[in-house]
Amino acid sequence: MATFQRHRLTPWILLAPQLAIVAVFFFWPAAQAVLQAFYVEDPFGLGRTFVAFENFTRVLASAEYYRALGITVAFSIGVALGAMALALLLAVLADRVIKGAHAYKTLLIWPYAVAPAVAGVLWMFMLAPELGLVSAWLGALGIDWNHQLNGGQAMALVVMASVWKQMSYNFVFFLAGLQAIPRSLLEAAAIDGAGPWRRFWTITFPLLSPTSFFLLVMNSVYAFFETFGTIDATTAGGPGGATRTLVYKVFEDGFVGYDLGSSAAQSVLLMLLVGLLTLLQFRYLERKVQY
Amino acid sequence: MATLSLDALRKTYPNGFTALHGIDLAIDDGELIVVVGPSGCGKSTLLRMLAGLESISDGELAIDGRRVNDLEPAERDIAMVFQNYALYPHMSVADNMGYALKNRGVPKAERRRKVEETARLIGLEDLLDRRPRQLSGGQRQRVAMGRAIVREPKVFLFDEPLSNLDAKLRVQMRIEIRRLQKRLGVTAVYVTHDQVEAMTLADRLVVMNGGHIEQVGTPMHLYERPASRFVAGFIGSPAMNFLDARRADGDLALPCGTRIATSHEVHNDAVCLGIRPEHLSRVSEADDTTLTTRVELVEPLGADTLAHVRLDGQEEPLVARLDGVQPVAEGDTLYLRPDASRLHLFDLDTGRRLDDKDIHSCPSSPSSRLA
Ligand SMILES: Nc1ncnc2c1ncn2[C@@H]1O[C@H](COP(=O)(O)OP(=O)(O)O)[C@@H](O)[C@H]1O
Ligand SMILES: [Mg+2]
Repeated sequence: MATFQRHRLTPWILLAPQLAIVAVFFFWPAAQAVLQAFYVEDPFGLGRTFVAFENFTRVLASAEYYRALGITVAFSIGVALGAMALALLLAVLADRVIKGAHAYKTLLIWPYAVAPAVAGVLWMFMLAPELGLVSAWLGALGIDWNHQLNGGQAMALVVMASVWKQMSYNFVFFLAGLQAIPRSLLEAAAIDGAGPWRRFWTITFPLLSPTSFFLLVMNSVYAFFETFGTIDATTAGGPGGATRTLVYKVFEDGFVGYDLGSSAAQSVLLMLLVGLLTLLQFRYLERKVQY
Repeated sequence: MATLSLDALRKTYPNGFTALHGIDLAIDDGELIVVVGPSGCGKSTLLRMLAGLESISDGELAIDGRRVNDLEPAERDIAMVFQNYALYPHMSVADNMGYALKNRGVPKAERRRKVEETARLIGLEDLLDRRPRQLSGGQRQRVAMGRAIVREPKVFLFDEPLSNLDAKLRVQMRIEIRRLQKRLGVTAVYVTHDQVEAMTLADRLVVMNGGHIEQVGTPMHLYERPASRFVAGFIGSPAMNFLDARRADGDLALPCGTRIATSHEVHNDAVCLGIRPEHLSRVSEADDTTLTTRVELVEPLGADTLAHVRLDGQEEPLVARLDGVQPVAEGDTLYLRPDASRLHLFDLDTGRRLDDKDIHSCPSSPSSRLA
């Protein structure tokens, strides 16, 4: 014991660099943001006034904020469901592939290594109204694609780009989950008279539910926070705010509108919202996915 | 209630490995067939082909006279108990048992009645609401059995269903499986690598080796007249002793000088002589019909004593099963006399039984049943 006592400091010394980084790049700015939310700064950033909850009440009273909330909810549901459903489909197919499985899986994992902005730009080019390949095909089908003018199409574009990027992540987890299901369970179900479709819905899908739950939490967080780059590179929140999600609005109000107090208040609200969402998911969903 | 007929069944896996080289077998209605053989001989492959989980590369499989080669597992009306039980972990015991009925569209009330009835039959009625992970190994095994029984299938298939249980439970469940199978009268194919389990369960035994059937017959027939050296060594515990012997004036002569009179008509000059441990008896005086051996190890089992002994010039030690408690110790000299009427002679090269060339036409072999 004595030797351990003497080295009580060592662990802290070893942890110090890591802790310093977390403190400087995470806790300090986060604390600043929370603090900022209670002040109003003058336009030149020379002085600030304490206003208590005024920033929050102003945000919560603005119709713009609720519009962004609604857009975020629609966007998140689209991204989470789209990315999970597609990933599950691909994972089920990949699970059956025997020849060339490795190449197939590697290709499916690639998009994850692509930066969000690059993913966005990729889709933007494919769908560019005048030049894009896909928009040309759509035009041939009689669909007039112009996400720079059409809000719904702009939303579809950012959802597609975000889904495409997140799918790889989900795919890896779903594939691992599928491969962890003992073959004999599906064989027993086949003998018990369940066809492939029924086997999937009554055996595979329920057994994947812990994976699905984990991914639902991760995908919600992703859709709320990490799609900023994708949106910024493609639609920049437009047209007319049709793709302005909460996180994009934080950026716009803060760094374009220079309303730092409001922006800080919004980021605090966003943090609370995601915290609440995760808590709800854990409370009500997790219990159902245990077996 | 079904007969099964296997006609030259072959299995070649996609990697080119041939696991079964033509299996012929006819299984009667209500019969309990045990397929036994060393690990890797193709038992599971055979069972999975019966179930429809593996495709049949060649040959014909018929249930009740109807060819089923190309039917899906669900369409064959068979139930299977897996070695790891394969219970659905997210369903209660009742749902596990009722799953097949539900798939078949049996109404809820009837399903419930059948599940409860089966649960009573095998002593699961208090566990119906539990999840598999809340059960002991023995209880899981029972649920797996119950899941098979409740469906009232034509055929039961068992793939080493008891190998994950402890020794005592294994013996209990063995008896219970036998009792249930007879009571329900369902045709069953049971796979195991454990020859004691095989002997006690089987109406007829199928001994497999390297993707072939070595012999088919009742346990006693296989014990008394093993068709090959492989079967002789596999059936019976402790295993049969094998000695090299030569023919000398109608008798058999062992390298150590012992001569054994035999009624077998032997044409080979050299043969493999098989003697079961229980057919060696202890005598007090040496003569030219006894084996003079040195004791290497004694296993007193109470009812009898196993003596592991060494014979001069013999590489493998012999085992003798002696009656009761015997006053022998390591290093003692022991005189053993083989029972001349219960010897087994095998061809040195082919390993086939020598006095029984027409083994395939004996009453319990499959060819006569097919005829
Ligand atoms: N899917 C497969 N592909 C190739 N070879 C296989 C496959 N499954 C089993 N085998 C081989 O077939 C032989 C028989 O296997 P199996 O039927 O499982 O044996 P047992 O159940 O008697 O132990 C073994 O040599 C095994 O390696
Ligand atoms: Mg096996």
